[in-house]
Amino acid sequence: MLLALSLVIAACGDDAADDTTTTTAGVTTTDGATDTTEDMATTTTGAQPVDTCEATVAFMGPITGEVAFIGQVQLNWFNYALDTWNEETGYDLQMVEADTQFDVAQSATLAQSLLDNADVLAAVGPAGSDQVDAAGAVFEAGDPNFTFISPSSTRVGITAQYQGMFRTVPTDDIQGPQTAQFLIDQGAQTVFIVDDQSSYSTGLVDAVQPELEAADVEVITDSVSQDVTDFSALVGTIPDETDFVYLPWQVAANGQIFANQMTEQGKEAVIFGSDGMDSGDFTAPGSYVATFAPDISAVEGSEDLLAGYLEQYEDTNTFGPPVYAAARVIFEAIDRVCQTGATPDRANVQAEVQNTDQADSILGSPISFNEDGDLAEGRFFIFQIQEDGSKVILP
Amino acid sequence: MSNIGVDSWVAESGERDRRYTGWGGPARRLLDRIPSGWKLLAFLVVVGIYPFFASPSGVRIGITALLLAMLAIGLNVVVGWAGMLDLGYIAFYGFGAYFYAVVSSDQIGVMWPTWVSVPVIVAASALLGALLSLPSRRLVGDYLAIMTLFFAQIFLELIVNFQRLPGVSVDLTGGPNGVIGVRPWELFGFSFNTFNRNFYLLLVLLGVIVVLLRNIDGSRTGRAWRALREDTLAAAHMTTPVNNLKMLAFAVGAGVAGLTGTILGPVQVGVFPNNFQLLFLITMYAAVILGGLGSIPGVVLGALVVAFTPEILRNPNAAGWLFYLGLVGLLIAMLRKPAQIAAVAVGLVAFGYLVRFASLAVWGEVILGMPNDAFLSTLVDDWMLILGPARDVASNYAFVLAIAGVLGVIVTKGWWRLALLIPTVYLSIFVWENKLALKPSITRQLLFGGVLVVMMAVRPQGLLGTRRVQIT
Amino acid sequence: MEFFLQQTVNGLTLGSVYALLALGYSMVYGVLKFLNFAHGEVYMFGAFAGYGVLTVLGGAAGLSIPIWLALTLMFLAAIVVSSGIGVALERFAYRPLRNASRLAALISAIGASFFLQAAALLLFTANSRSYEAPTLIAIETGLTMGPINVWAVRVLVIVTAVVLMVLLTWWVRSSRVGKAVRAVSFDTEAAAMMGIDVDKVIVATFLIGSALAGVGGVMVGLVFGRVFHFMGFIAGLKAFTAAVVGGIGSIPGAMLGGLLIGFAESYTTAYISSTFQNLIVFGLLIAFLLVRPSGILGRPELVKV
Repeated sequence: MLLALSLVIAACGDDAADDTTTTTAGVTTTDGATDTTEDMATTTTGAQPVDTCEATVAFMGPITGEVAFIGQVQLNWFNYALDTWNEETGYDLQMVEADTQFDVAQSATLAQSLLDNADVLAAVGPAGSDQVDAAGAVFEAGDPNFTFISPSSTRVGITAQYQGMFRTVPTDDIQGPQTAQFLIDQGAQTVFIVDDQSSYSTGLVDAVQPELEAADVEVITDSVSQDVTDFSALVGTIPDETDFVYLPWQVAANGQIFANQMTEQGKEAVIFGSDGMDSGDFTAPGSYVATFAPDISAVEGSEDLLAGYLEQYEDTNTFGPPVYAAARVIFEAIDRVCQTGATPDRANVQAEVQNTDQADSILGSPISFNEDGDLAEGRFFIFQIQEDGSKVILP
Repeated sequence: MSNIGVDSWVAESGERDRRYTGWGGPARRLLDRIPSGWKLLAFLVVVGIYPFFASPSGVRIGITALLLAMLAIGLNVVVGWAGMLDLGYIAFYGFGAYFYAVVSSDQIGVMWPTWVSVPVIVAASALLGALLSLPSRRLVGDYLAIMTLFFAQIFLELIVNFQRLPGVSVDLTGGPNGVIGVRPWELFGFSFNTFNRNFYLLLVLLGVIVVLLRNIDGSRTGRAWRALREDTLAAAHMTTPVNNLKMLAFAVGAGVAGLTGTILGPVQVGVFPNNFQLLFLITMYAAVILGGLGSIPGVVLGALVVAFTPEILRNPNAAGWLFYLGLVGLLIAMLRKPAQIAAVAVGLVAFGYLVRFASLAVWGEVILGMPNDAFLSTLVDDWMLILGPARDVASNYAFVLAIAGVLGVIVTKGWWRLALLIPTVYLSIFVWENKLALKPSITRQLLFGGVLVVMMAVRPQGLLGTRRVQIT
Repeated sequence: MEFFLQQTVNGLTLGSVYALLALGYSMVYGVLKFLNFAHGEVYMFGAFAGYGVLTVLGGAAGLSIPIWLALTLMFLAAIVVSSGIGVALERFAYRPLRNASRLAALISAIGASFFLQAAALLLFTANSRSYEAPTLIAIETGLTMGPINVWAVRVLVIVTAVVLMVLLTWWVRSSRVGKAVRAVSFDTEAAAMMGIDVDKVIVATFLIGSALAGVGGVMVGLVFGRVFHFMGFIAGLKAFTAAVVGGIGSIPGAMLGGLLIGFAESYTTAYISSTFQNLIVFGLLIAFLLVRPSGILGRPELVKV
């Protein structure tokens, strides 16, 4: 029975997902601002008016604490997604924010309090893979039907452990080999890898290093704590014959310091940054950056979203758009549930999230999930940063 | 800073404390007459029925609070009783947690039964504590503190980078990823696999430890520790075995911390380096000192306050109530006279409308934005200026001005204070409605910091601490 | 040789900054006998003040006035903001606890530190700010010392730090207030009986210590280039370590402690490993303290019977 229902839901969902602006079933159009297009005719008969279709979606992230720059941008993008969605569709979806402070103990406590709040149907977050582990264990034990979409956890295999987990970023086993291949293609002989002793960073190194070594590239590794903001001593140890310095870091501003200090000490190796370094804070000309989305300011459709965002909020970085995508996945899933006339709950929202099939997204690529909850097709793009700070995408 | 007459003041301090003047006097005298065993029992019963009323997340926060309480009690032995500033304490907690996690998960394929692992871990932690006490033979005061802090940092570095150590092939600690899949305690075939069970487990352990430590406190050892704290040199001259006592204090504290660590893994289903950051050590110290250094009921209370306050503040609505009630309470406490309170209230209302109408007259309706939808905010939104476009900038300036105003109110007196009070209160509400209410997570940290400062200023000896009189 | 020289310059820069911060800890400890945990936050606000002035002046790329003037203004703004916060901290968070236990004051300081950090998050948001010093002063400019070129900003940082430390040493040794500071830190009560206004001396100590932290903040902004709300916590910890290792309460000790840690970090990374930098540095410091239990220049605690 449940299966049949979810198939019906899925069928309707596909129609609605193609164009998100048309999913406005039943909104009273007194002011004529919202248009009900023919699409709606194909939705299930007896669709409820959306104003009785209420739901709360949570945002979990490091809003304060050491990496607040991640959480603040994520929170802004979440609020932006929520506001634009409510405005577009006439829904009145609510949000709660859960500040993990990038702390595992708090993530676990927060996960439980989200579960306790019956209004909360799903969450976007948490950010880091260790927070995902802590929160995931709670969700899995408390209610596996609770959906949480991490916008930034990239560790391989973590989605398979938790039924409710999805993510809108591709994993390390896509980014790692692609990065390694690029470096090899560029003729790298010696690569200096510095990780920042975080779970994100070591995961990427584990994916990149073997590939490089298999291609007979000499790899030198070292690491430095994220808390450090002076790298001059470390920069001094980079051998002169090094072609590339690979920095899989989360704090792009630290990468910029590293780059400046390389220039200062006359080191000529080229920096290759991971997706965490894709930010306005890192602008060293000639450097490469891997990222999970093509430059969204150049993607049709996304540029307007970005402009709309920047109108309200000051800054953005690489951690933002996947939050928008994740939030959008949940909102559309809730909408599809409502279209069938059902009351959204955690189980049917999760089924709909699993059925997500967006032909296009803010990230410039389609979004759908495999059975674990990973992106069905994820790929990375590589930019080179130009003299004027602009980024050129490499084929 | 005049110290004339200080000696007689010191001599009489005990009697003064027993007099209990003030509003709480009779209640405290009554409380003193209840034997401490009954008080402990009452505490255990009250806390014991808590899970029946609390939501699962409430139980979880309760577990966090009990973990903190256990840690605070252990820390109190070293800091409160023996008087040594031990900043390496968190490492023992981490050691216990990691040790238990490694022998109770698939990390290296070892699975010890609880009745073996827990005693071994407690003993090993205590031994490690005894080892760390060795430098205390030479180092005292802040030098000992920094040395123990180095120890804590080294521990953290080791668990993050363990598998990179030269010659290490087995990934014991999981590096930054931590150890996950930690099994719960299991005794006599009974598995502590739910939050409620862990809650009661912690409660029972807490009770046992409190009874044990109370006995030590009342014994020769306890008195010797206090002698050590007050004056190590004098104690040594009285043939107190100073070094052994220091070692014992470190070992007992470390044992308690190690034991507490074994429960962290199961309730979190994993342990992570992130659990043992310096910030958590600060939290423990806050609990111990806020509650009252040296007093067991005090540090338990302190732990509960430190664990629950930030969680209550997490709810924006609760934070709003706290803000407005706190504001009203402060005003009443500060002004006392009903006439003054009325004058300020009327002045405040008038001031608010004046500012509102003046601003609207100058800039027009366009500056207005969406009011907040919390209940208390809806009460003030016709009076307060809720800005739209210029909200961020204006509220930043207002925030700085409001802080300056609050500080000004503290230092001024008489009419100046009254005059300053009205704009300050207005600005505070302005900042709350325009900025703080919109950023609950940051506000929470702000309020928590402010609460710590105010609490220490009001009760420097801690909530249940006794004032210690020092002759310098 | 080139490598060694380069790493020495690196260690010297880092050490100078640590030393400036450590001075604040040590001075406050001298007069009040407790660690001003919020000192790192004072330094953070100094760095933001410098950034604010730079932004008002048009930013690194579009500076509207000569660089030396801009730098002076930045340092001045940082000094004003930092010492203002420092003095306010003393007056409102620590003075009520003057006669309470040192640990109570420590918790008050921690509370103040949380508060200031959250305030910075509210006012300046969480994004890292950069002075973009390489735009301000090109990386190629500087002193050529044998095989290496030392960036002018590093020279500026080291020279400023040395000048300030010399001035401070002179001030403490010879000026009226400086002598009063020494008297109070030696014996508060005796100083009070000699007619020294202890309150004023303490305020002066906070003023000077915080001003140095403000200068340190701008220096870090210039030479390392990342200004954000959490920077005070980590730097504060290092500086606190430096102050204790140097011999807490001793002003030359704080300078030496700062330099010692700067060099230790730099050489460890250079010759052994960056991964185990903290492990090795802390291990060395433990060994050092065991040999000299009162730090480099600390007095063994006098025991009065």
